[in-house]
Amino acid sequence: MGLICAGSVKRYLGLCKMNAKNTEPIIETKDLTIRFGGHVAVDHVNFQMQLFTLKSIIGPNGAGKTTFFNMLTGQYKPTEGQVFLKGQDITNLSPADRTRLGMGRSFQLTNIFPMLSVLENVRVAIQSREGFGLNFWKSYLHFSDAEDEAYELLQEVLLDEKWSATSAELTHGEKRKLEIAILLALKPEILFLDEPTAGMGQEEVPAILEILQRIKEARDRTLLLVEHKMDMIMSLSDTIMVLQEGRIIADGEPDEIYRSEAVQEAYLGGGTTRE
Amino acid sequence: MAEQTPVQIFRRQERQKQYRSGTFFLKLAVLLLFILVPFLFPSFKSLDLALKIMIFAVLVASFDILLGYTGILSFGHVMFFGIGAYSVALLIGKYGNPTYINLVIGFIVALGITSALALIVSFLSLRVKAIFFAMVTLAIAEFAIILATKLSGFTGGEDGIIMSMPGIFKVSFNMGKFLGVEITGRLITYYFILVVCLGLFLLMIRFINSPLGRVMQAIRDNEPRAEAIGYKTFIVKSISICFGCLVSTILGGLYAMWVGYANPESVLGIPIMLDVLLMEIVGGMGTLYGGLAGAAFLEFAHSFLPDLQNFAKSLFPGAHFLHAAMERWLLIFGILFIMVVFFFPKGIIGSVQDFMARRKTAPSI
Ligand SMILES: Nc1ncnc2c1ncn2[C@@H]1O[C@H](COP(=O)(O)OP(=O)(O)OP(=O)(O)O)[C@@H](O)[C@H]1O
Ligand SMILES: [Mg+2]
Repeated sequence: MGLICAGSVKRYLGLCKMNAKNTEPIIETKDLTIRFGGHVAVDHVNFQMQLFTLKSIIGPNGAGKTTFFNMLTGQYKPTEGQVFLKGQDITNLSPADRTRLGMGRSFQLTNIFPMLSVLENVRVAIQSREGFGLNFWKSYLHFSDAEDEAYELLQEVLLDEKWSATSAELTHGEKRKLEIAILLALKPEILFLDEPTAGMGQEEVPAILEILQRIKEARDRTLLLVEHKMDMIMSLSDTIMVLQEGRIIADGEPDEIYRSEAVQEAYLGGGTTRE
Repeated sequence: MAEQTPVQIFRRQERQKQYRSGTFFLKLAVLLLFILVPFLFPSFKSLDLALKIMIFAVLVASFDILLGYTGILSFGHVMFFGIGAYSVALLIGKYGNPTYINLVIGFIVALGITSALALIVSFLSLRVKAIFFAMVTLAIAEFAIILATKLSGFTGGEDGIIMSMPGIFKVSFNMGKFLGVEITGRLITYYFILVVCLGLFLLMIRFINSPLGRVMQAIRDNEPRAEAIGYKTFIVKSISICFGCLVSTILGGLYAMWVGYANPESVLGIPIMLDVLLMEIVGGMGTLYGGLAGAAFLEFAHSFLPDLQNFAKSLFPGAHFLHAAMERWLLIFGILFIMVVFFFPKGIIGSVQDFMARRKTAPSI
């Protein structure tokens, strides 16, 4: 399936311009900090990621990975610091605005539309991307391309047989797949995946892994991934960042991270390959 | 031809069945019934009942757009109904003449006021959480009642405004007999309202089945997620609120045309709001047709329970307990209502739909 569509051509032009000055990071944070009461969940994080790479964030439970994601995609407002997308300060933009700028997000805790059918969950995301979501004078069936595309995406995550089910009735693993299909439907330039395989059965993981692999190999998307499955991280990532208690303790290429003493001690050594 | 996906096959079958299914004929039969009421049951009482069912069915459906489809509970819905009624009454009755122009201006003014007010209400929904929003709208509705009652110089106070309709809508208008039935201004008004109600209802069906209508449902299910996939949920909610309120306003104007007056009790009162809420719950949330079932049920109950009560009394003259119970028919009604909510949480239409779906086990989306 071609990942480029009419709706995102404009985004692409923007991207190509970016490509020229390749060294500038696509996403950057400056002293990003958030406090919940007295607790500093993310502490002055200076983070950069390059265009069309796959970066992973690892760290023990409660390290602040999800919170960091939430500030990047706009669910949380930082107490301090800024977020930049292609050099533009987006710290004060809403999640919807950031999505329109090409940032797509999947959630660690399953986050779908429970009363809508499986197909509809994906279709609603497609109509957002295609920009006809505010049309109220035509029937949604008029836009049959969106429905066809939604079905294709369900095939891709191996959920097509359940297309007509109410999504609340899915099993946990199926909901995770739906979550990913919704993300793919947005065709974001930057994909933020928060533990995409969490709680999935072992036999379901390869399909997701394959999707990530394919997106990565196309080299036309930027991916930021939070995961606990170390083998998956090591094989997929271009770079890995390690968070602990809200602070970056290491950032580098996989084998660099693997050898790093600080990381061994803080995280890998603990044998914390969850699930 | 290329191979079709199960979705495409399902859609094609759906289109083929569209005008042949049982539900389609049922809808047609209901419409036909409304058209034939004046000929089948020519008394004023039955005409009045049919009209009220009609108006309330559409009013509840417009309320359902907010509550059932967008997940917004507003107690101000009947206030917009009142705005429509008062605006028409003021322009035709008190401050104008019964002319067609004034009738039209009455509706236009009402729609203008509603648009502004509905936008303000939308902003409130952005600022406050659901339960507080419900309370704030209740306060606004209460305020509107007080305003209508106290500004008696302008609104006629508790008595409200009485008016007579222009031209062919006038009660005394008569253009002879057709099939043994006098074609009076009343009858013409009845059909006029029927046509407008039907139009509004079809418009609402289109609205909820539009891409925007689908986003509304997504917001109802999970608002942060809808925002995360790129929707400005505030805009969608505002459109939904404004649309529902505008429909309510038009219905208020129509209602005033029918009864020939507007007063706080009949078009603004909190009891009417509660009726709408009951009809919504009895009929079923999230199904526009639920409004019709709920309205029919409650309006029938309102007009026939007192009769039933007298009938029961005459049947069992000695049964004092029964008499006492029937005296409190509202209580019985309340118990009945609780039972409906308890055993059929999806309301009449919702439960029937579930039943049909289970019988067919066909995918239903
Ligand atoms: N809304 C909130 N209010 C208060 N504290 C919060 C909030 N969100 C996160 N936290 C706290 O911030 C810290 C980081 O949590 P976060 O969910 O980001 O961890 P994580 O790295 O994603 O962990 P996991 O691997 O378990 O997903 C935790 O101590 C958590 O309790
Ligand atoms: Mg997390």
